[in-house]
Amino acid sequence: VGLSIGLDTAVKALRSHQLAVDVASHNIANAQSPGFSRQRVLLRPMGLDGSDHFTRDALLGRAGFGVNAKDVNRIRDIFLDFQTRQALSTKSQFGATASALSQAELVFNDPTDDGISKLLANFWAAWQDVVNDPESAAARTTVVQATQTLTTRLQRAHSELTTQRDDLNGQVSSIGDRINAAASELASVNFQIKQVELSGDMANDLRDRRDVLLDQLASIGQVSYSEQQDKTVTVYLGNHELVTGNTARKVQAVADQANPGMTKLTFVVDNADVTTTTGELRGLYDARDKDLPNLLAKLDTLAAGLIGSVNTLHVAGYGADNPPSTGVPFFTGTNASDIALNAVLAANPQAIAAASGPNLPGDGTNALAIADLQLAPNMVAGTAATNLIVGEQVAAGPVTVDGVTIGSVLTPGAYFMTINGGNLDLHFGSAAGPVVGSAALADIPTGTGTIVFTSGPNTVATIRVQNAGALPFTIAQQQAAFTTAGNDTIQIEQSPEPYYANIVSVLGADANGAKGLADSSELLTSHLDAMRQSVSGVNLDEEMTNLNASQHAYNAAARVITTIDDMLDTLINRTGVTR
Amino acid sequence: VTAIRVTEQWRVTQQTGYLNSVSERLDKIQQQMSTGRRIARASDDPAGASLALHYRDSLDFETQMRRNMDNGTSFMNVTEAALNSATDALQRVRELTVQAANDTLAQQDRQAIAKEVDQLIQHLAQIGNSTFGDAYIFSGHLTKTPAFLVTGNPPTAITFQGDTGQRLHRISRQDTVAVNVDGQTAFGTMFTDLITLRDNLIAGGPAATISASLSDIDKALDKVLQARADVGAKLNRLEASKATSVQADINLQELRSGIEEVDLPTAIVQLQSQQNALQAALGAIGRTSNMSLIDFMR
Repeated sequence: VGLSIGLDTAVKALRSHQLAVDVASHNIANAQSPGFSRQRVLLRPMGLDGSDHFTRDALLGRAGFGVNAKDVNRIRDIFLDFQTRQALSTKSQFGATASALSQAELVFNDPTDDGISKLLANFWAAWQDVVNDPESAAARTTVVQATQTLTTRLQRAHSELTTQRDDLNGQVSSIGDRINAAASELASVNFQIKQVELSGDMANDLRDRRDVLLDQLASIGQVSYSEQQDKTVTVYLGNHELVTGNTARKVQAVADQANPGMTKLTFVVDNADVTTTTGELRGLYDARDKDLPNLLAKLDTLAAGLIGSVNTLHVAGYGADNPPSTGVPFFTGTNASDIALNAVLAANPQAIAAASGPNLPGDGTNALAIADLQLAPNMVAGTAATNLIVGEQVAAGPVTVDGVTIGSVLTPGAYFMTINGGNLDLHFGSAAGPVVGSAALADIPTGTGTIVFTSGPNTVATIRVQNAGALPFTIAQQQAAFTTAGNDTIQIEQSPEPYYANIVSVLGADANGAKGLADSSELLTSHLDAMRQSVSGVNLDEEMTNLNASQHAYNAAARVITTIDDMLDTLINRTGVTR
Repeated sequence: VTAIRVTEQWRVTQQTGYLNSVSERLDKIQQQMSTGRRIARASDDPAGASLALHYRDSLDFETQMRRNMDNGTSFMNVTEAALNSATDALQRVRELTVQAANDTLAQQDRQAIAKEVDQLIQHLAQIGNSTFGDAYIFSGHLTKTPAFLVTGNPPTAITFQGDTGQRLHRISRQDTVAVNVDGQTAFGTMFTDLITLRDNLIAGGPAATISASLSDIDKALDKVLQARADVGAKLNRLEASKATSVQADINLQELRSGIEEVDLPTAIVQLQSQQNALQAALGAIGRTSNMSLIDFMR
């Protein structure tokens, strides 16, 4: 025993501090590697058998057997990982939505001097000029040009939004590829960690890699994971198994039957949909299936409103040509994708029906009626299904539909209908409350149609009635039909400019809101990242200090060997020798 | 001591993040200053954008209303001038009629007066067929057709061939104005009455038949003056509406620019402070990134 044990202890110390220097060197080398966790050598005093049992040393009544430096641990806080991943998921979700919405904003490019709003104004102005000068061929040509500019722009907006939607759809497929890449790498890392750690070693760098992969998956979708006994992690995407041990479940992009032209992600193994409430995938799905279709629908409403209202008046008017054209629709098409000036009018502006009778070159009254559509509430800005009967409540409280608060048009509260002489009155508060609007009983449609409640020149509400019943329909039957839920809806109607302004500002508010949420979750992620870095990141000064300490310890251990060597020298060469 | 460990990667992330955010703000202010616009897109200020669009619509509408009014004013100025000339001509006819109704006048003299009356009738017919651009102003909606058809030379009949259609101009959200007066309303049976007078003058009397025309002339004068007053009142109304619209325009411009445009002094101050922030950040990074224990170890 004796001195040779001392040498053994010193050699172990040399090895241990050598290892500590190696670890510091590894840390310094990876100071800038993303996802790297700093590592520490766990130094422990050692028992005779290499175990941590000190009891025997105590029994022997002597010093210990030196240092054990077998374990190199990585410094990591799994709770921070968990929180960071949640925040990452939210951040990518709103980031994806925000970037989609901000792109959509560029399509509208308003408020500016050349946005759709200006083109609409030019359109109405051109009609006013025809009113001022119905004889002028130049004024009619201006209508043709203003209309073509407007329709081209509406069509372009529609096609740009459609293209953006297709791009988002393409991103959904590429997200599938990213999920597969991350999942399969994670499965193989799982396998390696299991191999390494079964043999008792620590797979620190592999674990770092696995954490990076989990971060990646968390930013894509809603993941949950747990580490198993065998050191592998099981990962769920949504509520479907994604990775178990060394098996990764592949996802694929398939055509979504319920969503024409769009793809969805499903698991290959059982064709189950990939579901997620957060992450980039959620953001993309939301922008693709909610925000953009919503915008397209509003754009279509605007175009359809223009087509319908202008055409109705235009077909009834007369052109300045000979023989005077009549019955010519002004627009062709049905929505923003195909709205266009009737080719007949483009070829012959004289056929524009400014007059309300034939052969009246100075008559601009029909043009005036069309120009006045600018002021008419002819766009359905929002609808709310209600169940109306005479004397019963129409709507309680402000109802918000598509960003339009009905309560701002109808004062918030409850609405009631009563019959008052020849009128159907809309009351606020109760059946005895103030009348906010009324409609003539004679104007109530038989079958499908619209009851328009007006107050002075303003339309306060329209109630759309849909009855498939036999015609003619009596008032009593009509009222009875109100008792069936879903038979009627309240519509809020706006004139084109406020309707358009509403599209732009609601989009702006959505884009702003998504960006705000993305920014605030960015802030949270970056805060959590700071904490994660604070625990796991490499500080060069710290490593230098450790390096220095290890160097000193190494030197000291080497000194111990020299000392024992001296002692052995004394023992062997200088004792028991007589001259 | 428990302190947050500041690590190399974190320092880099933090510094680049901070530099990015300062540069982004600086860029935004620079963009705002160079374009003069505070709202580049609706998401910069959704509520403001909505108001800005509303003000823009209203401004465009007001501009168009003033265009309508200017056009209407020009049309009515032509109408007013025509009615003034018609009044003058009718006054002259009246003077001549009074003169001709004098018993002492010889037939020859009456015939001479008849010649002048005939000239005045033709002059009045020209007035009745006044145009504004391509349009006959007194023809109602039938503006491509002369308001009065003159038969014969000297005229034996002058008949109104327009209609009573109104030329409506929109001058505000609530109001439209008919800027024209049709020939029927302005002149009534004037031409037939004057032709009768002229023929009576050519026939040489008697004085009683001629003086009987005086009441017809007065009726015609009344009608023309009534039309003139009507046009005058409308012109005044347009002038007033235009003044209102100009005022509305000024107010709307102010509201719009207040929302859409950058307040330059504020922007300059913000630019300065962001520049200072960037400078300070760069300075701090420059100084701290040089500090390392390595420099102090042998």
